[in-house]
Amino acid sequence: MLTKATVVSMAAAAIAMLPGAVLAESPTVKEIQERGTMLCSGHNGSYFGFVEVNDKNEWKGLDIDICRALTTAILGDPEKAQIVPLSWAQRFPALQSGDVDIIIKATGWTMGRDTELGLQFSLPYFFGGTQFMAHGELGITDATGLEGGTICVEAGTTIERISANYMSTIGVEHTIVSYESAAELRAAYLANRCDAFAGWGPNLAVLRATEIDNPDAHIILSDKLSSEPIAAAMRQGDEDFVDVVNWMLAALLIAEEEGVTKANVAEMAATPPNPRVARLLGVEPGMGERLGLRETWAREMIAAMGNFGEIYDRNLGKDSAYNLDRGLNNLWSHGGVLYAPILD
Amino acid sequence: MTDMITTLTARPSRMQAFVKSMKRNAFGTPLDAAITIIVFSVLAYWAWLLVDWAVLRAVWRAEDVGDCTEEAGACWSVIAGRHRLILFGLYPFEQHWRSTLACLAIILTVIFSCFPQAWSGKRLTLLWGVGFAAYYLLMEGSLLGLQQVTTDQWGGLALTLFLFASVVLLGMPMGLGLALMRRSDMPVVRGFATLIIDFIRSLPLLTTLFTAAVVVPILLPSWLEGDKIWRVIIAFALFFACYQAEVFRGGFQAIPSGQFEAGKALGLSYWSILGRIVLPQVFRHALPSTINMVVVTFKETAIVIIIGFFDILASAKAAFGTGEWAPHYLEVYVFVGAIYWVFIFSLGQYGEYLKGRMSIAAR
Repeated sequence: MLTKATVVSMAAAAIAMLPGAVLAESPTVKEIQERGTMLCSGHNGSYFGFVEVNDKNEWKGLDIDICRALTTAILGDPEKAQIVPLSWAQRFPALQSGDVDIIIKATGWTMGRDTELGLQFSLPYFFGGTQFMAHGELGITDATGLEGGTICVEAGTTIERISANYMSTIGVEHTIVSYESAAELRAAYLANRCDAFAGWGPNLAVLRATEIDNPDAHIILSDKLSSEPIAAAMRQGDEDFVDVVNWMLAALLIAEEEGVTKANVAEMAATPPNPRVARLLGVEPGMGERLGLRETWAREMIAAMGNFGEIYDRNLGKDSAYNLDRGLNNLWSHGGVLYAPILD
Repeated sequence: MTDMITTLTARPSRMQAFVKSMKRNAFGTPLDAAITIIVFSVLAYWAWLLVDWAVLRAVWRAEDVGDCTEEAGACWSVIAGRHRLILFGLYPFEQHWRSTLACLAIILTVIFSCFPQAWSGKRLTLLWGVGFAAYYLLMEGSLLGLQQVTTDQWGGLALTLFLFASVVLLGMPMGLGLALMRRSDMPVVRGFATLIIDFIRSLPLLTTLFTAAVVVPILLPSWLEGDKIWRVIIAFALFFACYQAEVFRGGFQAIPSGQFEAGKALGLSYWSILGRIVLPQVFRHALPSTINMVVVTFKETAIVIIIGFFDILASAKAAFGTGEWAPHYLEVYVFVGAIYWVFIFSLGQYGEYLKGRMSIAAR
């Protein structure tokens, strides 16, 4: 005779075996699946290349696309990402209070955030360093040429400190002028009120590509003052969610390594060229079950968003208005520092 | 009344008066004349530069953004291409007719309540009830059977107007209540009002709003949290009310206590004395500072950008925050500045009209 408990447990087992209804182990993922939407961090305005709003009032950018990729991995549909506009100051409290599930917002992995703020970080998906940009007519190539010069920075940022620190290390006398907003800073630099301007590498390159009519009149100095690993931040205590996010990023990188793109993913899944691709695309089982997701999550994600290279090129790289070099943010096999953990 | 009109018409016309005063004050001596000519030519040159930049050499259409070079003037293409983002923020694109109508509803409500015909408690309540409900139903949509748009997608001018209207609407009665409590004969009530007013006035607005938006959800259980936008509106309204209470208090102090006593001697109740004798005078005395408070509040709504709301300034920043439009931030700021100016200038002019009207009543 069947007791009620057996029926219930049998039903639960049946549900668990259904494709697309795998029970997640991570409480955060479970919550996202029950809610049916993924809450990601946006910005109160635009942050060039990472978080922007297009002409149709829709979010776009590298960080937004990574959020959409994660949403596809968990919920099977990039449209289920809900972007919550947040200011810089607000992002960590908003994560702790549950206003967002994850912060993917050009956020550097620092010790303070990792320990005191009770966060945990994913694998870095982007590397951006602090650099100087100077007027080309000065004829200098590195920061030693700035002796006695004026450097503009944005007030109250880590860049101000990093720049002062670096210059005292190499012993170059200089004057720092801080400006409250980025727009003011740009205007001051373009009006020749400072010789050089310190900023986050991608921002400088974006500025050089868009704001300045003659890019060759400006040079990004060779000094690398710092390099910040940019990673997704999550609440402490849900290791399984970190696994999901890490393998989501890994799948994007592996797809690029193996040449799996948005366009050819269906074909690749039909006739996988090698066992790694077969596993990645869920032809051979293992990718989904171990994370508590569908076996084909990576295939669906790449079909919706493309691989990491495609996401980069669309938002920052050659298919965007910025035309930013891959540089450090290329695969290890192409001279960059991005690599995926081993898919076994 | 007829005397007044005849004296008015008997005066020299404005133009004649202007010419006369110019002759006397601006061209009285050769030095005066020289200074006048120099100042006016500089002003005229500036005006010419402005017109040249903003109109003559400007690029107007979104498709012509390629023409926006160093030599061209203002690049209004950015407004043509991005005005919907500036005005409505992240509101779904196909649903913009709803936020347009909702904005109109609020603006019309404000305009109608400016007419003296609307000045009765019943009519104002009805007007604002309808206007506000229309705004909310259109923007939110689910009750009208339209696609639901949650408040975190509201933005741009629509959000700025909503914040402003709800803060003033909630804050004004709260301010009056606090002012009355502060004048109460009961020490507990008086002490409580004084404490609230002084406590909140000692906090920066930013701290108050940040606490309401970010800290409260960490402290409260989720069923008590409510929507973020309402927490912020309530905190902002409380802040407004504390300042407005002091404005009202100034108005109360201008009224001799003899009036209260006379009212009591006639056997009028507290509320009759207040409603029929004291408050009308308080409002008149408090009017200039109240207009000032309202104008300041309109401008201060921009502070919500810090707690992640997409108000008009935030959406303006988003509008020039892409590679394509990045060089044209100046035009976007000019556009937003013009919007602010239109609203604030109208508020100020209306305040002037009210003052004029009330000084006639006082005669």
